[in-house]
Amino acid sequence: MIVVENLIKSYRATRVLQGVDHSQKRGEAVVVIGPSGCGKSTFLRCLNQLEIADEGRITIGDVTIAGGGLPRNAQEREQQRRLRMRAGMVFQSFNLFPHLTVLQNITTAPRVVKAVPRAEAEAIAVTLLAKVGLADKAGAYPAQLSGGQQQRVAIARALAMEPEVMLFDEPTSALDPELRDEVLRVMRQLAEEGMTMIVVTHEMQFARDIANTILFFEGGRVLESGSPEQMFTAPTQERTRDFLRRATTR
Amino acid sequence: MSNAWRLSRRNHSFLVFVLLLASRPTPGFCSDHLQSIQHKGVLLWGADAEGGAPFVYPDPQKPEQMAGFEFDLANALAAKLGVKATMVQNQWDQLLPALDRGNFDIILNGLEITADNRQHAAMSRPYYVYAQQIVIRSDSAGPSNLDGLKGKAVGVLASSAAERLLQQQGGVEVKSYPGNVETFLDLKAGRIDIVLLDLPIALYYAKPDPALKFSGEAFSPGYYGIAVRKEDVTLLAAINSALEGFIHDGTLEKIYRRHGLWDERQAGLANYQPETVVQRKSISTLREWPKYLPLLLRGAVTTIILSILGMALAVALGLVVVLARLYGPAPLRWLAQAYVEIVRGTPLLIQLFLIYYGLPQIGLRLNAFFAGILGLGMNYAASEAENYRAGIQSIPKGQTEAALALGMSRPQVLRRIILPQAMRVVIPPVTNDFIAMFKDSSIVSVITMVELTKVYGELATSTYDYIGLGLMTAGIYFALSYPASLFAHWLERSQSYDRR
Repeated sequence: MIVVENLIKSYRATRVLQGVDHSQKRGEAVVVIGPSGCGKSTFLRCLNQLEIADEGRITIGDVTIAGGGLPRNAQEREQQRRLRMRAGMVFQSFNLFPHLTVLQNITTAPRVVKAVPRAEAEAIAVTLLAKVGLADKAGAYPAQLSGGQQQRVAIARALAMEPEVMLFDEPTSALDPELRDEVLRVMRQLAEEGMTMIVVTHEMQFARDIANTILFFEGGRVLESGSPEQMFTAPTQERTRDFLRRATTR
Repeated sequence: MSNAWRLSRRNHSFLVFVLLLASRPTPGFCSDHLQSIQHKGVLLWGADAEGGAPFVYPDPQKPEQMAGFEFDLANALAAKLGVKATMVQNQWDQLLPALDRGNFDIILNGLEITADNRQHAAMSRPYYVYAQQIVIRSDSAGPSNLDGLKGKAVGVLASSAAERLLQQQGGVEVKSYPGNVETFLDLKAGRIDIVLLDLPIALYYAKPDPALKFSGEAFSPGYYGIAVRKEDVTLLAAINSALEGFIHDGTLEKIYRRHGLWDERQAGLANYQPETVVQRKSISTLREWPKYLPLLLRGAVTTIILSILGMALAVALGLVVVLARLYGPAPLRWLAQAYVEIVRGTPLLIQLFLIYYGLPQIGLRLNAFFAGILGLGMNYAASEAENYRAGIQSIPKGQTEAALALGMSRPQVLRRIILPQAMRVVIPPVTNDFIAMFKDSSIVSVITMVELTKVYGELATSTYDYIGLGLMTAGIYFALSYPASLFAHWLERSQSYDRR
C-alpha cells in the first residue's frame, strides 16, 4: 500500500532525511515519534510532495514517484497531483481557508479537483461533519470556531477527497490540553474504522493505543520500529529508551 | 506670448495663486522704486524661459545664457535706466502674483495689454504688436480668416489670446495644448488640421518648417506691454519714455530685425493711443452658480469616465503583471518587474506625452481620450500590481500547502484560495488609488482633454474668481471620491470573514 525507499532530503548543507525506508499495509496506523528536528515532519511532507525529496521512491496505492527534483512537465505534475489526492493531510496549524464557510472548506476540493456535483459534495460534507461532531457548524466561518473544532473540520476536509491514507502532522500540538481530546477522539475513531494513517505526534498514550507500528526517528532516519508493546516495554536502542522515558514521564 | 504654454502646471498652482492673493502686501507709498532700482544698480525682470523662442529662451549655442527679443529689450531698457538687467525665472501664469509679491520689478514676457491684466498691474505702452496666424500643413488647404474657422477643430495654446478669441467667437472646436511644440506635432500627425497662434511663434516655429505653411494674413492684433506694480508710478513713466525712445531711435527695429520679427505692424507702435481702463466688477461665480456649475459638471463627467475606464484597465492589467511577476517563467518575470519599475519610476506626464505625441511617430495614432485612458491605466497598473503582490504575499504559506495537499493545481489554488483572500487585503489600497486617479486624471488636460480641472482653469482665467470656482471644483471632486470611499468601506466589511 505505502512503500518508501531510501528517501533522502537536504536543506542546503543539512541532511534532514538520510535514507528512510518504510512500508505499510492498507488499514495500518503508523505513529512517528522522535525528538524535534529529527526529520519526522519532513518525512510526512515528502509523502504528499509538499517537500520534494532529493532521492528515493514513494509509492502510495497505484502511484509511484521516483527521483528528486520538481516536476518538469505536465505529465509529472499530473503524477504529483494524483499522489497528493491519494494522501489527505492534516496540519499542526489547521490551515482552514478563512474566507470560506466550514461547508465550503470541505466541498471546494471535491468540486474543483474531482468535479463532484455540488449537491453530492455537500451531502458528503454533511455526513463528514456529523462524523467529526460538528453537524451544526456547516455555515460558520473558521474564525468562529475553537482550535479543536477547526482541526476536526480540517480532518473532515481531508476525508472528503476520499484519500487512501491520512497524514497527520502534529495535529494536536497547537491545541490547549482540554481541546486535544476531541481531536484525538476523532482520530481514534478513524483508526478503528481501518483508515490507513501516518501520525506524527508527541501524544504517547494515543500512540500506544492506536498504533499498529511505531517508528522512532532520529537524525533523519528510522532508528527503531516495532509494535507499541515492544517499543514501550522493550526498546532495543538506548536512544529510544531515553526518549520514551522522558516523553512518558512528562 | 499671451499664454501659458506650460499650463501643465497651472492645475497645481491655483492654490498658490489664491494664497498669494490673500497674503498680498499692502501697497506701500514707495513711488521712488525707480530710485531704489538705480541705487541697487539692478533691474529685476520676471519671465519664463520655458515659454521658448523667440521671446526668452536658453541660447541653443550657449544654453547657460539667455537669448530672445525680450532678453535684448530688457538689456536695452536696463541700460537706459543706467542699471544692469537680471532675469528672474517665474512660471508664466504666476507672473502677476509674483510681481505683486515683489519677486521682481517688472514683467517683460509677452504679457498682453488687456483689461484683465490692467486690473492687476500697471501696463506700459506696447513694445510689440502681435496678431493671430493660421497655420496648416503644407499639403493641405484651409481657411484663411477667423470666419473660416467656424465648425472646425482648431489647435491653440492653452490660455492664449487665440484660445480666448475662439471661445468668444464660438462655434469652433478648440483643442488646447500645453506648448507650441506639441501643437505643431499634432498638426503634423494629422490629429488636427488647423492651428491658430501668435504670429511670433508662428514665425519662429512654422515658417522655417517645410511641412507647415501660413494660411492667409494674421488677424486680431493685440499688444504686449511691460507690467509694473500700480504704485510704481515713476518707474512706469521711465519705462514708457525709454520705450518711446527705442521706437523713435530705431533700437526696437534693430532688435526685432535681428530676430526676424519686424513688420509694418511694429512701425505703427509709434502712434499708440492707450485706451482708458474701465474698472471691471469682480464676478462671484458662487453667487452665479447656475451659470458655472453645469460647465464644471460637464467636465466632471469626463473626469468620471476617464477615471473609471482608466482604473478598470489598471485593475485588469495589474493582475496580469503581478501574475507574470510571481508565477511566470523567468523572462516574463523580468519583463513584469521591469514594467513595474520603469512605469513607477517615471512621471505620468512624460508617459502621457510619449503615448500621445511619441506613438504617432511610429505610426500609432490614438485620440486624446484613448491615449488618456491608456496612460492612466498603464501607469496605475504598476501600482495595482504592487498592491496585489503585497496582498498575495500576505496570505500564509499554509493556505497554499493545504490547498495543494487537497490535490488542487497551482492555478486552482490561486483562483479559489489565494486571490479571494488577497482581494480583501487589497481593497483599501486599490480604493485609495481609485480616488487618487480622480484627481490625477486632471493631468490629461495636457493632451487636450477637457476635464474638470481644465474647465476650472479656463473659467478661473476668464473670471478671476479662483476661490469661488476652486470651492465648487473641490466640492465636486469630494462628491466623487467620498462615495467611492464609502463603497470601499462597505465592500471591505461585507468581505470580512474573521469577525467572531
